[in-house]
Amino acid sequence: MSKLRIIFKDYQERFSLVFCIFISFLLIFNNDTAVIKKSKINSLDTFSFLFAPFNWLDNQLFLNKKLEVLSSENLKLNLENQVLKVHEDENIRFREFLNFKKRDSYNFVGADVISKGVSANMSSILIDRGQEDRVNINDPVLTSKGVIGKIISTSKSSAEVQLISDVNFRLSVKIVPDDVEGILRWIGDDICEIAELKKISDIKIGDVVLTSNLSIYFPPNLPVGEVISIFEKSDSSNRIVRMKLYSDLSTINQLFVVQRGDEL
Amino acid sequence: MSFYIKLFPFAVALQLLFSELLTFNGYQANIMLLYVILSSMPSDNNASQSTINGFLVGLFTDFVLFSGVYIGVSSLVFSICGFWASKVSHNFAFRNFDLYWIAFVHLGIVIYSLFRYDYFFFNDFLLFLSNCFFVTYFTCFVGFILIRIFSLKEAILSA
Repeated sequence: MSKLRIIFKDYQERFSLVFCIFISFLLIFNNDTAVIKKSKINSLDTFSFLFAPFNWLDNQLFLNKKLEVLSSENLKLNLENQVLKVHEDENIRFREFLNFKKRDSYNFVGADVISKGVSANMSSILIDRGQEDRVNINDPVLTSKGVIGKIISTSKSSAEVQLISDVNFRLSVKIVPDDVEGILRWIGDDICEIAELKKISDIKIGDVVLTSNLSIYFPPNLPVGEVISIFEKSDSSNRIVRMKLYSDLSTINQLFVVQRGDEL
Repeated sequence: MSFYIKLFPFAVALQLLFSELLTFNGYQANIMLLYVILSSMPSDNNASQSTINGFLVGLFTDFVLFSGVYIGVSSLVFSICGFWASKVSHNFAFRNFDLYWIAFVHLGIVIYSLFRYDYFFFNDFLLFLSNCFFVTYFTCFVGFILIRIFSLKEAILSA
């Protein structure tokens, strides 16, 4: 026994390192278990007050700039809206003539970002809407400019959003006007790559990228970004496109969670 | 130990300030890593204590500060860095203080990046390196400024 004690004393430092590494790996490999998920969201809920002063400071510092941007966007959108309203009435009439199925409408729940996390290069953020606001797992999340991620966990009053900038995030998208479908993944800054695009497709720089009709969670035609470059792979029948996100990932503060509403 | 406790609120506040307000192209300086490395140095710390302190700070970072990666990654990185940082002899750190903490920042961020950018590591190694590079040198840059402004070198070596 005393021999064991001596050995333990001699190797105490290494034992503690091995023990800490072991517990850390245990946690890493059990990240998907309900207990870890629940304790994570509970601790974030409990300690969300820590982030409040920094969020407040952030809002104060950039309030004027944000107001300026929002005012100019609002004006632009108002003008666009006038034109689109006329097209919408016309479109509804034609769909009725042709007996097309009615489209789903969506409710948008506004949310403030509580925390952007302390990890290098954000992969998920915390918002101040949760189960009480009928926010559910896999609900799409947008900024005023376009898709930015989806909900991956919820608590009563907050939810975690997996951002497009998470390397494990994938999104089924289409490039209009040709409706070429592919799979999007983030590669750095505000740039994403779209793979699995047919080589014969006609894609040009500046084409718009929208969510496709194939996604289970994302409704079709939500704006995502625009094409900035196109690559051909000589050994493949597919081509790769790089696109810039409409949303600026480094300045997100207000978001919208999309909830399915009634049929239009 | 007292150094660990004294600096903790300051490190948390600074990390939150950096994560909310001072990101560079989405990259953030890892202040908590700097804190673990620098706090593990004072000569009254033994390696076991530094390892466990690093582990606990890592858990706090993962659970409370919302690290956004797998729970357990920060505790793994901080335990390893805490252990090795406390193993460096006082004389070496005294003569090569900047080399000492910069080397451990590299070690910590490389391990961290293996989990955070695992996909890039296997599919696009250049992208993995560039992400790793930006995070490391942004953290080093911030660390360099903090050490100079708050005269941390003297405070740590005389603790």
